[in-house]
Amino acid sequence: MPSASNPGPVITETIVVAPSAPVRPSWSKWVRITLLVVGAALVLAFPTIAPNPYILSAGVVILNYAVLSTGWNFMGGFTGYISLGHAAYFGLGAYGTALLIRNFALPSFLAWFVAALLVAIIAIPVGIAALRVRGASFVIVSIAFVLILLLVFQSWRDVTGGSEGLTVPRPFPDLLRPEHHRVFYYLFAALLAVALAVWWIIDRSKFGTALKSIREDEDKSQSLGVPTTQYKLIAYVLSAVFVSFGGGLYALWFGDLDPIFQFSILIGSYMVLMALLGGVRNLFGPLLGAVVVGSALEYFKLEFGDTQFHLIATGILLGVVVLFMPDGIIPAVKALFTRSSNQASIREVTAGELLEENRARSAETVPPRRPDASGEETP
Amino acid sequence: MSASLLLQAVILGVLLGGLYALLAAGLTLYFGIMRVVMIAHAAFLVLAAYLAWWINREMGIDPLLSLVVTVPLFFVIGVLIQRLLVSRLKPLTLTMMSVLLTFAVALVIEGGLGFLFTGTQRRIPLSYASDSLNLFGAQVPVVKLIAFGLAALSLALLFLLLKYTRFGQALRATIQHPEAARLVGINTDRVAGYGFGLGLATAAIGGTALSLDATIYPSLHWHWIGPLMAIIVVGGLGSIPGAAIAALVLGVAQSLLQLPMGPTWAQTVFYIALFLTLMFRPQGFFGGRLAKRF
Amino acid sequence: MNAQRDHGATAVDNLRTVDMTKTFGGVTAVDGASVQFQEGKVNGLIGPNGSGKTTFFNCVTGMIKPDSGSVLYRDKTITRQSPDRIARAGIGRSFQLCRVFPRMTVMENLLVAVRHTSIGRQLRSARDEEELERARGWLRRVGIDHLEHAEARNLSYGQQKLLELAGVLMGEPDTIMLDEPAGGVNPALIGRISTLVRELNAEGKTFIIVEHNMEMVMSLCDHVVVFDRGRPIAEGAPEIIQRDPRVLEAYLGV
Repeated sequence: MPSASNPGPVITETIVVAPSAPVRPSWSKWVRITLLVVGAALVLAFPTIAPNPYILSAGVVILNYAVLSTGWNFMGGFTGYISLGHAAYFGLGAYGTALLIRNFALPSFLAWFVAALLVAIIAIPVGIAALRVRGASFVIVSIAFVLILLLVFQSWRDVTGGSEGLTVPRPFPDLLRPEHHRVFYYLFAALLAVALAVWWIIDRSKFGTALKSIREDEDKSQSLGVPTTQYKLIAYVLSAVFVSFGGGLYALWFGDLDPIFQFSILIGSYMVLMALLGGVRNLFGPLLGAVVVGSALEYFKLEFGDTQFHLIATGILLGVVVLFMPDGIIPAVKALFTRSSNQASIREVTAGELLEENRARSAETVPPRRPDASGEETP
Repeated sequence: MSASLLLQAVILGVLLGGLYALLAAGLTLYFGIMRVVMIAHAAFLVLAAYLAWWINREMGIDPLLSLVVTVPLFFVIGVLIQRLLVSRLKPLTLTMMSVLLTFAVALVIEGGLGFLFTGTQRRIPLSYASDSLNLFGAQVPVVKLIAFGLAALSLALLFLLLKYTRFGQALRATIQHPEAARLVGINTDRVAGYGFGLGLATAAIGGTALSLDATIYPSLHWHWIGPLMAIIVVGGLGSIPGAAIAALVLGVAQSLLQLPMGPTWAQTVFYIALFLTLMFRPQGFFGGRLAKRF
Repeated sequence: MNAQRDHGATAVDNLRTVDMTKTFGGVTAVDGASVQFQEGKVNGLIGPNGSGKTTFFNCVTGMIKPDSGSVLYRDKTITRQSPDRIARAGIGRSFQLCRVFPRMTVMENLLVAVRHTSIGRQLRSARDEEELERARGWLRRVGIDHLEHAEARNLSYGQQKLLELAGVLMGEPDTIMLDEPAGGVNPALIGRISTLVRELNAEGKTFIIVEHNMEMVMSLCDHVVVFDRGRPIAEGAPEIIQRDPRVLEAYLGV
């Protein structure tokens, strides 16, 4: 009888020299805690340090971006499904909040919650349709969804105010501008903290391990009993809800909505760019990306005003990240450190030791002093 | 609603559908060859329209003549994009990353157009812009007929090229089974590059056709990419005839719905079709088994 | 325990298909196959290349939906159920070209397996001590416990095969389907895998193995089903199968 005739992969029985335990210098834990504390302190102290209300408002915008891209990362980071249309949920959260306040006289923050709940309900059928087929169709639906919402919100004048936009009643009418920024700065920071905490809980949970296995090999994951369809949907809805919270808070803060901005593809692409730049596999990756890209964007707006230049810069930066460092800054820096400690062959996947260090480092540079974000590469 | 109005809507729908079909064929080529979802396709469409407008403004020649420049130019750009950018991506994450990469290209094009020509709406002044033909009582603008003729002719050429030439055979072999194609001696990298070039050439032709009777502005491509994406999904990702049929059907549907709903709402037909397709028939209506795998 | 298992074997089949058919655009890969696999045994599924074994495997485990026919696991239908439900029902499987999660560590690879989907369990830390110990147990069992912290993509092919097996075992399946466990690995490792299969079988696990390595099939299997052109043409004990003229004909294409 014939024996094996299937040309399998070449047999190479080289034994990998395995580390006996995750190599983590003894000082690393303390460094991480210190960095986390310093980072958090910096974030909290920023409104006091900020020289003027303009810088403070830029801080609010950056925190908003951080919330959005961390929210995006619930889907993109865990499952590897990249949505370019998450601006849809940003817009829905913002308009939902505004419309609930205006039309149903709900208290501002109740409206904010109800809007997020409604977004969750909308995200379910959209998620089911988008996740029916893998990869390509998901992206197509995500883009189509934001385009269709843009159409609807522009055209449905009676309800949404169309292109004229919509003003949102202020939740704290008595506050002066700087105070208003300061309050919202802390609200955004709190929201970000919640999002990060939830991401962290999922990251270390069994559910998170299952989601990450979907990113690696969906069929294999399913064959090991992971209910991939349901899990992807849960991640998608969670992601939509956090982005919606970000949008709703933006509406309450900014007080003025315009469909072109709220449902712009560009906002969605910022989320992707920020998360990717920082590192989608890392808790603080999207935050780091938001600080870098957000500061750059604010700086551009200040220096060059409203030109098309930010489009080009965003495009080039996105291209560079995708081509040369799809894992983001954090793993790149981490690899640098691991190499120096004689562990070049095997990269450890323990929780990011250098995240906080990085975050703290870039948090110090929050007032934008970087000349040009477009050409920036890994240090 | 009079019968002639209805007829006119159908004719205009078919004419528009022809243009959609050509562009969707280009998108299908990229996806078929390399599993690339080319978001920048519509941006190149708008770029071609801008080139036609610019050449017309600078030299005063008919925009159709700009094809002589734009088609070869876009072909080369397509080959370069494939060889220099897309082929660098890792196969495992190719589809997702190619979306981001081509999205980045689209942003650069949009930003570049805005930078060079500002956001002002542009339109080519044509002597025959308002001429129209009377077909069975329906008024059909000549420019739309020219655009359709151009699209139909290119689509026919593309079909003949794919069906009857050696290159077409190699391309189809690469689409159907890359490894097998390599084994029989086809240089799949080169074929993929040329396929990309061909796809982008359809954008050049489409853009010129578009420039004849459309007002153009840098962010116009977002209005095109959505419907085009919907068309290739409804047609069953990877199937050119499927995409062409879906394009015609949806083009006519859009045109008919414009009568009661107005142009903006009528556009939602694409997204509704997309949504329904994925819900009830994710492999598309006319396509093969390709879709399920991606 | 042994007696009970033997009793089970006579009472119900472990896995049974009835008239299962799957065609791919005109090519019939599985053609009305009705097959029984025995509870508590090491079942072999052999056949020439292209005889539909892998398609059969994929239909049974839900990766592909069969066009017609049904699949029964311990007399309950699992036809057209999703792969994850089938996995949680107790059928684990490996893939022909072994598949692991390349960018997860060996340990994380094992922690993926889901047996229960209750929310409480799913939100618990993946690294809970009990699970880690269980995982280390399986890693020791297949002999790659020293690689616990290595990323799966840095393992050799043979090690990946062992890792895949450990990952499947982590789901505590009652029935394990292996698609070419000996494919592409060296003789020493084949021996190791065979020993493992025997031990696990003695502990009560049923095996269904697709394999080209006849030596392994003949020494390991209690019961062999031969596939040709998408359907079974013979079945029985390995010694009998070996002498069956229909089997020789199918293989040699006389």
